Amino acid sequence: MNIESFENRVLPTKNKLFRFAFRLLGSQEEARDVVQDVMIKVWNGREQMASIENMEAWCMRITKNLSLDRLRSKQRKSTDPIEEGFEVRQETLTPYERTELNENMQRINQLMTALPDKQRQVMHLRDVEGYSYNEICEIMELDMSQVKVNLFRARNAVRERLVKLNAYGLS
Amino acid sequence: MDSLELTNLLEKYWSCETSLEEEQKLKDYFRGEVPEALKETAELFRYFEQQQNMTVKQSFDAEVKKKIVTKPAGRSASMYFNLARIAAGLVVVVAAGYFVREEVRKAYPTQNEDTFSDPKLALEETKKALMMISNSFNKAHKEAGKINLFNEAEEKIQGKRVGEKKVNI
Repeated sequence: MNIESFENRVLPTKNKLFRFAFRLLGSQEEARDVVQDVMIKVWNGREQMASIENMEAWCMRITKNLSLDRLRSKQRKSTDPIEEGFEVRQETLTPYERTELNENMQRINQLMTALPDKQRQVMHLRDVEGYSYNEICEIMELDMSQVKVNLFRARNAVRERLVKLNAYGLS
Repeated sequence: MDSLELTNLLEKYWSCETSLEEEQKLKDYFRGEVPEALKETAELFRYFEQQQNMTVKQSFDAEVKKKIVTKPAGRSASMYFNLARIAAGLVVVVAAGYFVREEVRKAYPTQNEDTFSDPKLALEETKKALMMISNSFNKAHKEAGKINLFNEAEEKIQGKRVGEKKVNI
């Protein structure tokens, strides 16, 4: 792969990679670092990657792995018990990031961030990025049934909460 | 999209049976005005679309390119680099060899220069040199004559012994 095909095939995936990393990490800065690492990793391994058909899915997969590595090392470092619940990840947003989402969007964002990791990733890949099930299998390194189960659970968890919000006007 | 179609499509969506096209249809629908009952659902679909607007900053490409250009070169480039190193080594060895040879040539000129311009003088000098060799040679010959004494003595002794042996037999 030369610099030209890198620019045409790899660099344009940056925004999708960034959103995916952000979905996992909850911080724009860290997501950007991860995407940059992915780009450098792909470039350094370009000789081995010539045979890869779906470069975008491959990059997404590396993004997922690097983001998870980062999460794990962060969890190892922090001595605080892992918090649970809605607002946890919201706190990691900077004020600037928070103003980007209006109130309603923030509510949905909270619903999404409250989902377990795998469900959140699969739902993001399908509903935000519009990947096919096969591509999601490739990115997530899961089989079709696992992907569908995770998506089903994610969508229904979100639906349930939406119904509740609607019914009780909780926000 | 009429309400029945919408309801069916939504049901399909919640049970994960919709295709990507159908999901796009839902996104398109929820962009517009929706019934009050579906307000929250509409928010979800708008959220999906809105998320796509999130992008990395403009300078990202330049930053990445800067990093990958300054990174060590790939395999083919490093092969050329190694070849260049070997070639440079050879050049140094050849150059050093050449200069050493030049120095040796300067230090020990191979051409013999004439020491005398007058033939007579040269002849005298040659004669002198030959006489010197001759004298030395004679002197050595005289000295070597003494070694003969030993030889003669040894022969005499051996001759005696042979005689003795004969007597014994």
